[in-house]
Amino acid sequence: MIDFELGDELALIRETALGFANDQLRPRDREFEKARAVAAEVHEAFRAIGLGAIEVPEEQGGAGLGALARVLVFEELAAADAGAALALDSLGPALYPLLELAGGDALDALARPVLERTGARGVLVWDGAGRVRRERGRVSAEIPWVPTDRVDLLVILDPTGAVCVSEGIARSELRGAGLRAAGASALRLEDAPVRAAWEGAAGARRALARARLYAAALLVGVMRAASDFSREYALNREAFGRPIAHHQALAFLIADMATAVESTRLLVQEAAWRIDGGEEAAEPCATAFLEAAEQAMFVTPNALQILGGHGFMQDYPVEKFMREARTLGLLFGGTDAAREEAGRELDTTPGPAAVGGAGA
Amino acid sequence: MDFAPDAATRKRVEQLSQLGRAQIRPLGLEADRLGRPTPPDHPFFDLLIQLGQGRTRWSEESEAKSRDASRSRGGSSLVTLCLAEELSYWDRGVAVSFPGPGLAEPSILSMGTPDQKRRFLGPFVEPDRPRWGSFAMTEPGAGSDVAGIEASARKDGRHWVLNGAKSFAANASRADWIVVFATVDRSLGREGHRAFVVERGAPGLGNFAIERKMGLKAYESTSFTLEDCRLPGENLLGGEEHYARRAGFRGAMKSFNATRPMVAAMAVGIGRAAFDEARVFAREHGRLADARVRDRLERIRRRLRAARLLCWRAAWLADRAQPNILEASMAKAVAPEVALEAACLGMEILGEVGARGDHLIEKLFRDVKAMDIVEGTGQIQRIIMARRLVKLPSERG
Ligand SMILES: Cc1cc2nc3c(=O)[nH]c(=O)nc-3n(C[C@H](O)[C@H](O)[C@H](O)COP(=O)(O)OP(=O)(O)OC[C@H]3O[C@@H](n4cnc5c(N)ncnc54)[C@H](O)[C@@H]3O)c2cc1C
Repeated sequence: MIDFELGDELALIRETALGFANDQLRPRDREFEKARAVAAEVHEAFRAIGLGAIEVPEEQGGAGLGALARVLVFEELAAADAGAALALDSLGPALYPLLELAGGDALDALARPVLERTGARGVLVWDGAGRVRRERGRVSAEIPWVPTDRVDLLVILDPTGAVCVSEGIARSELRGAGLRAAGASALRLEDAPVRAAWEGAAGARRALARARLYAAALLVGVMRAASDFSREYALNREAFGRPIAHHQALAFLIADMATAVESTRLLVQEAAWRIDGGEEAAEPCATAFLEAAEQAMFVTPNALQILGGHGFMQDYPVEKFMREARTLGLLFGGTDAAREEAGRELDTTPGPAAVGGAGA
Repeated sequence: MDFAPDAATRKRVEQLSQLGRAQIRPLGLEADRLGRPTPPDHPFFDLLIQLGQGRTRWSEESEAKSRDASRSRGGSSLVTLCLAEELSYWDRGVAVSFPGPGLAEPSILSMGTPDQKRRFLGPFVEPDRPRWGSFAMTEPGAGSDVAGIEASARKDGRHWVLNGAKSFAANASRADWIVVFATVDRSLGREGHRAFVVERGAPGLGNFAIERKMGLKAYESTSFTLEDCRLPGENLLGGEEHYARRAGFRGAMKSFNATRPMVAAMAVGIGRAAFDEARVFAREHGRLADARVRDRLERIRRRLRAARLLCWRAAWLADRAQPNILEASMAKAVAPEVALEAACLGMEILGEVGARGDHLIEKLFRDVKAMDIVEGTGQIQRIIMARRLVKLPSERG
């Protein structure tokens, strides 16, 4: 039966992530942004709490947890610093094509080295529009932005499968619009050798679904932080003789922002629950990502607005939240590609009740 | 975590959906066409009684249990909520016309003495015929601001004398009794409120007038007046002690609410009906290939799903007697807006067909707006949320 109880294990995992985020990430967010990296001792601390390779199977040295654990932990990390969350998660969503298309041996050969080297980064690029050219075991492509300053393993996912590249990648550093703690680079591949390639449309679809969910969880964290921060501020700032939160225009806005966070989180958790239940969940994940991207662009600019001019200044984190929200929503084809995926089901589900009946 | 209703609930939803397709939706369309509520002697209501509907949650056994003091009562609002959504999917107006104690039941359950529960809810345990209860708080001059009601209650020996006018009360003219709120002293605000059970035929109860509504025509929303309406002392809900006791808890707010998530779920039901109809129409007319149409349908499906999850979560908290005031208002604020958006989009997808006034979506478009008004308007929900989130001071000092 419908149940929103996390259970002891998941509650503990979330608690751990929250503690880590508050102690290690939140106080240093501007420092990481400036350094374009997370300090080495923070990497160590993250490793120590055992949440590093959260969805990597235990045989490959991971925590072997599911999608629900992932979204809980990543909401917490992103609520403190979304860029740092990406930087700390060395393999990132590049894990998903390996999990869905490749299997244990490839995880050992390709993923393990990235996981074991502090600061190493795996990168996932979605190629929905055929921008990557493949010829005789070599790939060429221009990738305008990836949130990283190094690439140890590049996984390019397209609707038919994935290829894996680790040499022949020319990287040029970018300023980056957001998520700078993870870095920002443009990549250029010219006849780079393919290290491994896998085919399978179904696996590719699942991998993309999980990548979208990954971004959605980060978006929930960012918008939650923005909503909480601006609410607190609105209680302390006075104008026209009372806290600005007590002017109805802001009180209602604050209520709507809190509601947006809550409802998006539920959609994200539901999609994660479907993945853990073995469903393909392409549509629910695309839907959750879309909602997260849209709602984050409702919540974070309004959070800035609540701080007025101060919101525009980098002394407060809200301008950073707004940049992070905008950038996260651009990942994996962005919202239009997600709309394409989610909209497909409208055509294929027969009869009425595509929302799912109350009993569905 | 679990995001699926259990098999037993799914089965009950499925049964309801069969009744919905065969009877409820056609009846709703008929009432809409004829522009009048389904009359109380309609055979559909007898059928409902035969099917076990129209009953109260109260029973002698539940009464015995609730006397067994400290037991925390695990509720079942989640199941009721799933059923309410499905019922509204087929027709929300017909759903409200269902016999039973209705909106008044929670007042009697929470305030009534054991004798009053037996007397007023007893006939709904195994009803011999369709029976209705009604709930009347709203007045022509006071809706959201309930503290502003003017209907007065004056004590006269062992009796009470009521005077005033009530509006929009569902099923009032066909009800066995109406729970009426009146004030003993307007300057006391809600502290001065008393709830009475006014029985059919009480002297001074009259001038029933069924309102003409934009939609939801299948049930009656009725105004009536109380003119020196004399009631025996036993009809004061809870008895005098109840109000003396309550005065001690001044300002204490109830910590959970099961009605708002329920009404929100009904809005989801209406929205889902509009969405399904719009999608089927779009498909049949080859419009699903149009990304502009698909994207907007996708958005509605997504927002309906999110609204439903908010409803579920609020009801789940209520079932565990955990505070849910914030969550209940979130659901109630969101669902009616999404449902209206669904109906509006449905009309757009119909195009000129929508303007003809004979399509189900057009009816849903007229039905749905009430959902943002009843059980606390969208604005009132935001006030309730802001009280929790930023301690918004009460509008009255
Ligand atoms: C179909 C239908 C069925 C109903 N059934 C029943 C029933 O069975 N029993 C019953 O007792 N009542 C019933 N009602 C009445 C319903 O509860 C009231 O209509 C509702 O509470 C709103 O009150 P009002 O109509 O007086 O509007 P008002 O209270 O006058 O509100 C007018 C507008 O002002 C806004 N507003 C009010 N206060 C504030 C504030 N502080 N800040 C910002 N905005 C504010 C409101 O949101 C609304 O938009 C029904 C109504 C409808 C439409």
